[in-house]
This record gives sequence, structure tokens and C-alpha cells, in this order.
Amino acid sequence: MVLELQKPRPIWQIMFSTHHTDVGLLYLITSLAFMFMGGALALILRLELFAPGTQVIADSMTYNRIFTVHGTTLIFLFILPSASAFGNYLVPIMVRFKDMAYPKLNAVAFWMIPPAGALIWLGFADFTWYAYPTYSTISAPGPAADMWIFGLKILGVSSLLGAINFVVTILKCKHPDLPLSKLPLLAWSYLASSLIILVAIPTFAAALLMLLTDRLGASGFFNPGMGGDPIAYQHLFWFTFHPEVYVLVIPAIGFMYEIFPRFSRKPIFSHSSGVAAFVLLTIVGFASWAHHMYATGMSFTEKTVFMVGTLAAVPASAMHTFNFLATMWGGRIKFATPIMWAVGGIALFFSAGAGGVVNSAMPLDFITHDSYWVVGHFHLFVMGTILFGTVGFIYYMFPYVTGRMYNEMWGKIHFILSFVGTVMVFFTQHILGLFGMPRRIYDYPPIPEWVQMNIIITVGAFIIGISMAIFLGNLIYSSAKGKPANMDDPFGLGGKYYFPYQAKNPHH
Amino acid sequence: MRQMVSGNMSGHHSTWPEWVYVGVVIALLCYVGAEAWNIERIVEHVPADAEIIKVVGQQWLWTFEHEDGTKEIGELHLEKGKAYKFEVTSKDVVHSFNIHDFTVLMDAVPGRVNTVWFSPTETGEFPIQCREYCGLIHYNMRGTLYVENGA
Amino acid sequence: MKVIFGLGLVLSLLVILPSIQYVLAAGDEPGEYLDRRVEIWGLFYRLMIVAFTVGTVVSGLIVWLVLRFRESNPKAKPTEYEADGKW
Repeated sequence: MVLELQKPRPIWQIMFSTHHTDVGLLYLITSLAFMFMGGALALILRLELFAPGTQVIADSMTYNRIFTVHGTTLIFLFILPSASAFGNYLVPIMVRFKDMAYPKLNAVAFWMIPPAGALIWLGFADFTWYAYPTYSTISAPGPAADMWIFGLKILGVSSLLGAINFVVTILKCKHPDLPLSKLPLLAWSYLASSLIILVAIPTFAAALLMLLTDRLGASGFFNPGMGGDPIAYQHLFWFTFHPEVYVLVIPAIGFMYEIFPRFSRKPIFSHSSGVAAFVLLTIVGFASWAHHMYATGMSFTEKTVFMVGTLAAVPASAMHTFNFLATMWGGRIKFATPIMWAVGGIALFFSAGAGGVVNSAMPLDFITHDSYWVVGHFHLFVMGTILFGTVGFIYYMFPYVTGRMYNEMWGKIHFILSFVGTVMVFFTQHILGLFGMPRRIYDYPPIPEWVQMNIIITVGAFIIGISMAIFLGNLIYSSAKGKPANMDDPFGLGGKYYFPYQAKNPHH
Repeated sequence: MRQMVSGNMSGHHSTWPEWVYVGVVIALLCYVGAEAWNIERIVEHVPADAEIIKVVGQQWLWTFEHEDGTKEIGELHLEKGKAYKFEVTSKDVVHSFNIHDFTVLMDAVPGRVNTVWFSPTETGEFPIQCREYCGLIHYNMRGTLYVENGA
Repeated sequence: MKVIFGLGLVLSLLVILPSIQYVLAAGDEPGEYLDRRVEIWGLFYRLMIVAFTVGTVVSGLIVWLVLRFRESNPKAKPTEYEADGKW
């Protein structure tokens, strides 16, 4: 327990703390704040796209800035920090150590996030979260572009420091009686995602630096006029960010590895299969990056290589799905809020993955590249799988962090509205993409099918928005006035846990 | 006090269902890969007599040049049944040339010429759009393809 | 019987027709060029058949699992792990 609002701690005590539970709480509050902010931006975009013509956004440049900050915020300021939040809270407990390996470095890694977030939000760049040259080098207005570049540089360093901390804590600080093979799968998920970060992020750090020097005119890495190649940036970017999407999803899968066995009242079907799947994904995830670049003019052979690399990563994800379903089989499942989110998340994970397999087929890129099909596809991952897994885990951890129970009825309502809204928005976007609507556009011609589908999508988005407002209310109210939880078994499942969640915070 | 229950890490179960499942998944993926490879191979085969059309994207319009030197801005007039090979490039930032109704799509990259070919099989007017973010008027970087019966 | 017929239909759509087309591939003269739309969308529909077939099986399984193993199901019985409370 670390947030007991009936016995408040001085705020400076939490802010200057280096204890892993406090740093975890700081990450959690920050990531949730950015989740709501990034989500609000999406609602503004959807209002504008409700119909052809101008609705609420006066000009296209503002629209372009909003979608850029929306994507940047939710990936770098929500998903990654929320994974760090629970990792910080739980990894030391799972490896039976008193704190993270480097507690002060841990706090430093967290405190880099608010200034980076400020740079991104005060700048409000417009060049999409990819920042492709040559638009980003010769055409994107500064200082927004430069602030974004610096903000991401800082976030990259923060990520690397966090990854180092996780890897050292797990591999070097774990209890001598605990072999790696018996480590909980949630801890394995942090090991896997941290290893990917260590290998993938430096490439993007280089690319960011090159963007900056190109913008300053000091270099021509991506400038054809100076012998450079804009496509080189895309290779560097996607070499980092394809593996990075696995960094985003792996912790959410880890959360599900906690939730499914717990609520099914039986152990995970196969621990070793889960470990193998994480290790496989970590390695094979590096082999597929240029499937994002099928339209850039690559040769047939190049495209084939990356298609094969993409398909090779699918069995690992399929193994996780099998594991969860086989865990439920033969169980006696209590369908409280956390496992509803986990089941919904796995169903949407499957549909996102199926779409991904379709996407790997090179010729289909001629239909779907940079259309709403792509938007629908990746949102099924980030919203359908990652957000659903994360929110389910927030509900699960709520009693352990606050000592109180959230409101179960509102938690279930939140789930139902979010699931309905997610399907309405992102499944429809797949079809909209097949009808040819490009992504990242402020306005569109009044093609009847586009108009109808955009209306459905906007309505769905607002259903999600309402559900998130309910979530915020539940979180705040229940933290202060929720029923005190039975700390031995808050969900009434019976049984003893693998490890106690009540960490010993020295200040409490 | 930490009490760790390390007990059973997994339930008792047989492993063959999972192996069968993984086998089925891999078989399906091989099917997807083989089909995609085959269709790409077929689609990339450019007929020898395809007429070359130079396509230049720039912020925020498309220009075209036919083999005989005829230039067009924002519109492209082609004949039904003939084969055309587009040589696509850009003057400034990355754009993407897209005639969705004929599944023609290829990035326009400055400093590079990308090729894509097609043969229009019906007459009519078809929208041309940009499919890579290129700034302020990306949303309206449009044109029209007119396919007419040949002379 | 129906299963065999259904399987045969799916097999022909997915495998045999494309193989025939591979053999009788498009030529290089006016009037014989392939229509790229037909090829590409054809591939899309075939992959959609696979995706939706697998999707039906997986989602159907999830729905069945959720209904059959929920604790309020009349057939629900405690798991073997609930006896000593360790899972």
C-alpha cells in the first residue's frame, strides 16, 4: 500500500522518494494524466471528422499538430510510463529484493518524463509521431519540431535508464533461491521488453540527432541534394519502432499472465511456454521492420524478406493466446472487472493480430498503406490489447496500492462501454481504409460511405470517452472513500498468492 | 516477512494440443506468405510496351508528363486497355501517389524514382490522392484520372 | 458429408483456383494485361476467408470458455488447486 488518502503523506515525501513503490506511484499518476490528455485530443479530432467541412478545428495545421501530439503522448507518455509504473512496483517484490538495483537512478529516470512531456506539449509539432524527413527537416515549422526532438531524446534516455535498472534487478538482484525458470511471467515480460529497449532505442537516438543536425543545415543525412537519403531515416526509425511495439504490448501480456490464473483459480497452463514465447518474440521482433516501408520502392526480394520476418513473429503471440485460453479451461472463473478487461483484451489482441497477418502480405499494401485500415489495425493493439490489459491491471492493483476497493459496478460499466466503443471505432476504420480514406487528413470529400463510417466512428469514440470519464470518477472517489479492502484476498478468490503485493514502504 | 509460495508453477497437462495448434498456425502463415509472394510476383511484372508516365509530387499538387512530352497538372488523361508505367518522384518532401480505384500506390521520394504500372480496364473519372503526410494541404493534394476509350 | 463438401469448397477457393490462374497467367499484349485490382483484391478476399474462419473458431471458443467456466455456471466445480489454496 502506498496511497492511503485517509492518512495522507506529505506530497514532497513521495516526490523525493527513491523507494520503488513511490516511484511506481509517480509513474502511474503521470501516465494516467497523459492518458486522459491524449485521449481528449482524440475526441477533438473525431469531432472534426464527424462530417466533411470544418467543424471545430479552424485550420489543417492545428489538426496536424493535434494528431501528432495525440500519438506521441499516448505512446511515450502513457503506455511506456504505465508499464514502468507496475514494473517498478512489482519487479523487486517478484525477485524478492528490497528495491530496484539503482533506486536513485530510478527516480532520475522518472523525473525526466515531466520535462519531456512539457517540451512536447508546449511545442505541439505537426509532423506526425514518425517525424519523417524530408518534411521534418525542410518543411516542419520550428521551434515545435526541435522541441519534439529534444523531448523524445530525453524520453529515450529515461527509457534506457529504466531498462538497465530492470535488467540488472531481475538478473543480478534476484534471490539466490529463485531460479530464472521459476520467475513469474510478469517479471519475464519486464526482462524481455527491457532487453528490446536496450538494443532498439540507440538506433532512434542516432536518428533523432541526425534529424536535428539536418534541420540546422549542418548535415545532409536525409537530404538528397547533399547526397543523403530520406528512406535511410525510415529504416532507422522502424528498426527501433517495430521492436518498440513489442515493448508496448509485452508488459500488457504480462499483466494478463497475472490476471488469468488468479481469477481462474488455477495456475497458468504452461509457464515454460510463456517464457519461450517472450524470448522468441524478443529476438524475432527485430526481423520485420521494413514491412512499414513496402510503399517506399523496395525491391521484391527485400519485401519478401520482411514479410517472412513479420510472419515469423506470429507463433509467439499465438502461444500467449493459447496459454490464456487453456488457463481458463477447467477453471472456476470469477468475472470481476480485471478479468473482464483481460478477456476483452485477448479477443481484441487476436483480431489485431489477424489484421497484422493480412498486412504482412505485400500486395495488400497497395490497398491499405497510410489509410484508415492501418489506423484501425494499430489501435486494436494499443487500445484493444494494451489499454485493456493495463486498465484491467489497474483495477486489479487498486486495492493493493490504495487499501480500498474500487466500485465494481462502475468498473464493469466502464468495460462494456469501452469494448463496444472500441469495436465501433476500430473495426469500422478497417472498412473505411478499404474504401480508400487516407490517414492524417483534416477533411475529406463527401463520399457517402466515408461520411457514414466517420459518423459511426465518432459516436464510438465518444462512447469510449464517456467510459473513461467513468473510470476517472471511480479512481478518484474510490481512492478516498472506497470500502476498505480485505488485504489478504481483496477479490474473494481464496488461495495464497505467489508473492505478497503489500510491499514494505519505509515511510508508511 | 516475505512468504513466498513457489509451489506449482504450472498445472498438470499434456503438451500435444499446443504443438498441434502451433503447427496449424505455422501452416496458415506459410499459406499467407506463399500467396502474397505469388501475387506480388505477378503484379510486379511490367509489360514491355507499357507507356511511361512521369509523375512528380510536390507540395501540394501532382504533375504528369507523357512520353510525347505532353504535360498535365492535377489531371491525367489515359486510354482504356493500354499499359502505363508510372515513374514517380518528388520535388520536396515524401508524398505517395495513389489511384485507389485501380490499387495504384507508390511513394514519391525526393532524389529517387519509384515505378508502378497498371492498365485501366474501365472508362470514367477516378480520384488521385496523396497517401503520405506532407504538411498543410496533404488532405487536399488531389487530382483526377480520366480514362477514355482509345482513338 | 457436409463437412467434406464445405472443406472442398474452401480448399478450391483458396488453393486450386489460384493455382490454375498461375498456370494460365496474364500475357504481355494489349487486352491481355492483368487487372491489378482483381489480383490484389482477390488475394485480400482469400486472406479474409482464412482470418474470419480462424476468428470464428477463436472467438467462439472464448465465448464458450467464458460461459462454461464462470463460477455461476450450474456445472461449475472447484479446481483441484482450490483444495490447498495454491495456484
